[in-house]
Amino acid sequence: MTEAVFRETAADPRTQAVPLAHLSLELGHLYMEDFEAGPERLRQHFAQVRPWVDAARAAAAARAGGKRPRISTCFLIDDYFTRFSSPAELVPLLLAEADRAGLVVDYLARESGCAVTGKVPVAEAVAGRIVESPPPGSYGLRPPAAQTGWLANGVRSPVARAPQAMKKAAAWQPPKETAARRHSVFLDVELWSDDAGGHRTWSCPFLAAVWQLARLGLLRNEGEPVFVPQPHTAPGFPDDWDELPALVRLNPRADPFAAYRTCSVLPSRFLPVEHAVRVILDQTEVDRGALRQVAERSAREQVAVPDSVADRVSYVFYAGS
Amino acid sequence: MLVFAASDKGGTGRSVTSANLAYQRALTGDHVAYVDFDFGSPTAAAVFDVPGAVRGTEERGLHSYLEGEIAEPARIDVWRQTEHPLLRARPNQSGRLVLFPGDAGGGEFATDDDALERCIDLLLRLNGEFDLIVVDLSAGRSYAVDMVLAATAHPRMRNVPFRWLVFHRWTRQHVIAASGLVHKEHGIIGGGVERGHDEESLRAAIRFVRAAVPDPESPLWSQGSPAQAAWMQSCDEALRRLAAEHRIGDSVVLGVVPLEPILQWREQLITEEDVLSTQIANKETLEALEEIARRLTDDSYWGQP
Amino acid sequence: MRALEDAGSAPHAVLACGEVRTCLLPARQALDVRAAAQLLGLRADERVLLSERPNLYARSPDTLTGVDCPLPSANGAHVRAVGTVAARAALTEGRVLQTSAYFRLPAAGPDRRRPWGHYLVRPGTVEPFGKLPHEAVAQGVLDGGRHGELDVGLIAGGLLTRLLRHPLLDQRPPLRSRPTRLRWVALPAEGGEGPSIERFTLAEDELRTVRLRVPEGTPAADAAGLCDDLALHDWLLTTVVRLLDGIRLGSEPPSARVGPGTQDPPAVVRALRPAVDHLLHLWMPRARVAKELAPLWEALEERPGFTRQWQALVQRIRDQLTLHAIPTLYREVEPAP
Repeated sequence: MTEAVFRETAADPRTQAVPLAHLSLELGHLYMEDFEAGPERLRQHFAQVRPWVDAARAAAAARAGGKRPRISTCFLIDDYFTRFSSPAELVPLLLAEADRAGLVVDYLARESGCAVTGKVPVAEAVAGRIVESPPPGSYGLRPPAAQTGWLANGVRSPVARAPQAMKKAAAWQPPKETAARRHSVFLDVELWSDDAGGHRTWSCPFLAAVWQLARLGLLRNEGEPVFVPQPHTAPGFPDDWDELPALVRLNPRADPFAAYRTCSVLPSRFLPVEHAVRVILDQTEVDRGALRQVAERSAREQVAVPDSVADRVSYVFYAGS
Repeated sequence: MLVFAASDKGGTGRSVTSANLAYQRALTGDHVAYVDFDFGSPTAAAVFDVPGAVRGTEERGLHSYLEGEIAEPARIDVWRQTEHPLLRARPNQSGRLVLFPGDAGGGEFATDDDALERCIDLLLRLNGEFDLIVVDLSAGRSYAVDMVLAATAHPRMRNVPFRWLVFHRWTRQHVIAASGLVHKEHGIIGGGVERGHDEESLRAAIRFVRAAVPDPESPLWSQGSPAQAAWMQSCDEALRRLAAEHRIGDSVVLGVVPLEPILQWREQLITEEDVLSTQIANKETLEALEEIARRLTDDSYWGQP
Repeated sequence: MRALEDAGSAPHAVLACGEVRTCLLPARQALDVRAAAQLLGLRADERVLLSERPNLYARSPDTLTGVDCPLPSANGAHVRAVGTVAARAALTEGRVLQTSAYFRLPAAGPDRRRPWGHYLVRPGTVEPFGKLPHEAVAQGVLDGGRHGELDVGLIAGGLLTRLLRHPLLDQRPPLRSRPTRLRWVALPAEGGEGPSIERFTLAEDELRTVRLRVPEGTPAADAAGLCDDLALHDWLLTTVVRLLDGIRLGSEPPSARVGPGTQDPPAVVRALRPAVDHLLHLWMPRARVAKELAPLWEALEERPGFTRQWQALVQRIRDQLTLHAIPTLYREVEPAP
């Protein structure tokens, strides 16, 4: 490692770069209940999204300082929590409704790809990168038994524990948000749950956080990019979700999928989920190589990218459920 | 090797005897740790004569360690920190003798899974460092007994050998109680099996130490009348029968510590000096302790009786 | 590793501190490369660094621990600091396990805590509130802080505890040994001077402290790498010295420790054999020290002479084993009684 002459590849970590757009613009999430509500629901959704998409494009153009900003659009379909319909039935419908509103979906993603992409356990890897924000007074002692599977934005109310014999039990204390301004907005996020058979189900906010990291180009597996878009070459779409790649490029002329920043246009019922996403992103240490590549690349392009990963994410919540 | 010192009742001389065993083994060159899991009354400091050193460790003892308040429990190097003038001159070729005290003022506490994991961490760490680890346990069916039974049944500890010493006095009540602690429902064997121990191997790893046993032949009683001597003799025989009936007969006894007046007055380590020059302790007591200490690792005294 | 220096817009560090824990891996057999990678795979998505030249070596990815507390300081100054401490584990020849935690401190920081995401993109950096009294903090770290002050040793120890719980380990160490701790600080070198070791102290039984001067811009990870190397070799010396200290040379003692079996080798051989099997081949100073810092070893070779002492110990062990081999040879030619 110190001699340039001799090199061992296993001793020499490399991180592969991914192409980057300025903005990744998410046109929506689709869950089973939306699908069950019929094509009307999708039509309404895209109609409401359209003006905000234009606004987001305008804002990105303003940030790019006159140059044409690279913007890609994406759409996420839940095939993780419930399986419904099929790509063959759903995707053409989706595209038709987007088109009716004058929108183009560049990339289509499946939510289960945020859990496992191919053989890469993406969600598990991200869970291993959580570095909890230390409340004041954290001096290095491992916090006693973290609530596994939960992540908070502060200090939980202490659990009553049987004290030593003849010692007093502690009185109740409120939870406290670490970054609170005077008063707390304490949030405790369930990241996953395990069933009796040991099977783990990742929570919706956790997968949404993984989704954000994917769109920011910050996911790697042993230095290799994960969530690489596959071109859509076949004439139609398969009958089984598993046969559809986790991320498909529908528009061959699309700008890169990953971007310096993301913007998601969602109905306001997603507000609590996205608050949870922020709590997770704010405490996730992303791949250092990927982080550096984004910093170097944006500096070369003279594009300002916020330091903090959570600050690279933005939303438009439109009225509706 | 781990040696757990247990007793059903207080006042059996468990702590003082096990401390003396630790001391004897250190004299022969073993590195020895003495771990004070007598949570309700952590007093080992007095036996090793290290009260001053313990005073600095109120909040850094085993209670705090097991409850996760600190990452490493305080340790006291007995040779270096004892106030006992004879011990301070560490004998040549002796091994280390290190005391792990409880929190001064600590009490019994309910142990949870985290405490169990930390207990295993500690015992494994000590196993890598010391030849012998003596663990003094709170009397009776205590949290401490529970915890070490669970710890030694844990897969992480599958390769760490352990033995149990159960201390009792030589009276009817104590014999019955000691047998109960080991053999009755939820006793050491029953509780151990519930936690995953194999019954036969656990039974084979338990031996008894009769403490404070009056020896009718001893000069201590030579002033007594012949009637007294005969009475003592018959009592002794009756107790032997009782012990055998309760499955704690001679075949599972590792040793007998005679009634030692100075231990009745003061819990302390018995040194060669106490026997030879000041003659305040009996030679038989020291010999008994040396012999039990030796037998701790002599396999011919262990296994199925 | 270089990323530590250039991540974000962190200003230059004026102080780097760390602590290394070194212990024998509690397993009967040394781990091979694959098992080492399994043990040290602290993250599902990051490779364990594996190297086979000049010796077998595996190192985990860095993990971070958040801290927000006062810094220790020798003059009692109360400086709160917030940030992340980096920690990693390394296994040398599948036999010696080390965990190493370290952080760097810039000369000054903002007066209030920033959002956590700010610190996460500066891994291994802890930012003081206001100006950092770096000399006082350096000394405070070496002296060991008071309860509640930043304790980098706890983080190294926590990682070690986590690794020692790994099911790969059978908890059958081939010899008795004690873990050591090495606490270090790296202060900026004066003017244009090169790196130097100001002091290497054997403090308590298990504690060593090292005070370094390094040129500006020296990555904290490089200083940590040097100190890992010092800690490894100091541990080897300490362990072998204690091993020799604990045996009775000369004739066989009538010790209670000796089993009754006559086929057993003599106690001296039994005590020294594990050193030959597991330790003697591990001596390899500077194997992975950054080129700029490697010359610092020379000071220790000069005085007290680390390698000199090691060679003397190795020679002594070999001599003892040779001595004990001789009677066996004689016995083989003796007629049976």
